[in-house]
Amino acid sequence: MKQFFIVLKFELGNYFKSKSFLITTLILAVLVSGLVVIPPLFMKKDRFSSTETIQETDMEAMNIEEDLTEDQDALVLALADPKGVLSDEILLKESFGGYRWEDCQSLEEVKEKVENGSAAAGFVMEDELSYIYVVENLSMMDELQSEFETVYTTLYQERQMKEEGIDAEKVQEILSSSCTSQTEVLGKNSASNYWYTYILIFVLYFLVIFYGQMIATSVTSEKSNRAIEVLVTSVDSNSLIFGKVLAGAISGVFQVGAILGSGLLAYHFNADAWDHKLDFLFDIPMEVWGGFLLFGMLGYLLYAFIFGMLGALVSKTEDISKSASPITLIYVASFVVTMMGMMDSDSIVMKVASYIPFSSSDAMLARIALGSVSGWEIAVSAGILLVSVLLCGYLAAKIFRFGTLMYGNPVKFTHAIKKLKEQ
Amino acid sequence: MRLEVKDLRKSFGETEVLHGLSFTVESGRALGLLGRNGAGKTTTIRILMDVFRANEGSVTLDGKPFSPKEIGIGYLPEERGLYPKKTVSEQLMYLARLRGMEKNEALSAVKYYLQRMGVEEYANRKLEILSKGNQQKVQLASTLIHNPPVVILDEPFSGLDPVNAQVLKDVIREQIAEKKLVIFSSHQMSYVEEFCNDIVILNHGKAVLSGELQQLKKEFGHNRLILSLNGCNGEQTAEKTADILKGLAYPDGIRKDQVILRLTEEGSKSRVMQALASAELDVELFGDYRPSLNDIFVESAGDES
Repeated sequence: MKQFFIVLKFELGNYFKSKSFLITTLILAVLVSGLVVIPPLFMKKDRFSSTETIQETDMEAMNIEEDLTEDQDALVLALADPKGVLSDEILLKESFGGYRWEDCQSLEEVKEKVENGSAAAGFVMEDELSYIYVVENLSMMDELQSEFETVYTTLYQERQMKEEGIDAEKVQEILSSSCTSQTEVLGKNSASNYWYTYILIFVLYFLVIFYGQMIATSVTSEKSNRAIEVLVTSVDSNSLIFGKVLAGAISGVFQVGAILGSGLLAYHFNADAWDHKLDFLFDIPMEVWGGFLLFGMLGYLLYAFIFGMLGALVSKTEDISKSASPITLIYVASFVVTMMGMMDSDSIVMKVASYIPFSSSDAMLARIALGSVSGWEIAVSAGILLVSVLLCGYLAAKIFRFGTLMYGNPVKFTHAIKKLKEQ
Repeated sequence: MRLEVKDLRKSFGETEVLHGLSFTVESGRALGLLGRNGAGKTTTIRILMDVFRANEGSVTLDGKPFSPKEIGIGYLPEERGLYPKKTVSEQLMYLARLRGMEKNEALSAVKYYLQRMGVEEYANRKLEILSKGNQQKVQLASTLIHNPPVVILDEPFSGLDPVNAQVLKDVIREQIAEKKLVIFSSHQMSYVEEFCNDIVILNHGKAVLSGELQQLKKEFGHNRLILSLNGCNGEQTAEKTADILKGLAYPDGIRKDQVILRLTEEGSKSRVMQALASAELDVELFGDYRPSLNDIFVESAGDES
């Protein structure tokens, strides 16, 4: 046991004394918390609500927005109506809150203002129901055109109805009427649980693939630099493989924990600023955390042992990806099955997958978060996974001891098992 | 202490690589474990190290089953292996601690061996920046750091310059003088001759020759003489003396300018000397043949044997 802790400490030092490991963790943690903290600072609550207000043609809201037109810092928009088709230009400008307007005489003038940057964009009216939108670079996120179109169309419809003697407000009221409903969710709400479950499974995927490779590389590099020659004669192979795998596991959990934790902490203090719009990502119930810790960690250890074992079967780090590709494919397949199964987490495929050790870490986590799963099912699945981890650890230690002294071409797993029996 | 390896057999699949190997080593004496590539030296060492088990046979220390973990063994592998990215002292500490030393004890041992090897100035440097010779010294320090009673050295001198080789020689002599049990495997026969009292020569998994080195040299030289003539190479000497020595001795090998002669039943050293004198040959060298370890090795482990 003493040797195990010495190996664990040494291997942890390999990760935690590595500048690249610490800097990557720090940068990613800062980036994630920055993504949570910074956007609310630039968000204007009124900007979020302006479109909705106009769509509802709520005149009271429009009055509030009038103040915004006086905002000197607001974006400048150019407007040209060379044919005089706008019957009430002032109402249009007032309705289109949050911007300053520059009047132009022609399309060319609008283009010039947009080109020289004195206007963010421009609109040139061609006739009552057609216009030209002028913008320097059209962004994927551009909403100006649709906002303008909504406001203008609403004003046009109201005017037309007025001319026809129709009560526009009455029509609007009829059109906007809808039935209300309340949903009583007796089990899990997949709609709200989906995204954080998706993220947790993706985190697990990242842990297994990325750290699995790191663990395999750590084992193989000891073989390629021949340190293993001295190690296998100095230390019990169980202590060596368990120390290495657990050090990789702890480092992985630390790194992912630091990154996720920084995001969760940042959201905890900024949830109100976000108006709780990201609850679907960050508000994760305790039972889901429990499932993630239990199944995620056991599944991670299972794959970590397998990657460690595979690392012992090759002599060069460049051979790892080839040797590890079958197990990587198995994990990717289980990941894809779970991702597809999340749409119906109580399906028979998900039920079966949640008992197979290679896929249960993902599938059972998804079932806990999204479906109906009883306590005994969780216990049985966790039991199978735990036994598999222990068996895999035992086998990994045996293969590690044998494989580490086999140099040259990669040794096939089946060949290693055969050789173990011969010993 | 007396380490006894008895009737060791080891197979990998259908292939038997050790066919009943036996030898003994005693404290304060170094054993040269010799053999051509693939003769079974590494397999033997790995069985001693308990990396894998023999199919048959036994390894005992003073009559009791040998357990390398209990006894403590210092192993210098042929393929040098430490952590290139770690500092010298960091990895020596790691190995010392793994071999059961307490922290303070390990610190003192690291300091002592780095000084003894003359590499203390590199204690906090990464191993990869050290020269090959200094890396080799660090490797030997890692082998001896826990003061093991049994030391196995596999090609300890490969790649060393004469100055570094001298440091290593001194350290190995100290180990032998401290009554350690030393097993020395090398293809550099001059080093084996220098350190080893006993040798075992393996060929195809069998001990083809074993025993006390000086005795073996005597036995190999028995009934053999060495002769060289001024101005003649070995072949010419053999040709010139063939008729003169007929019935007394015949050429048994040629070594550069010398001919090794094997005496016949009628021949003796004095009769050969008389024959050479009466033929008035210009003798440069004449005497008993004392084979080098290299000669013994080639004769014992060569394909023709």
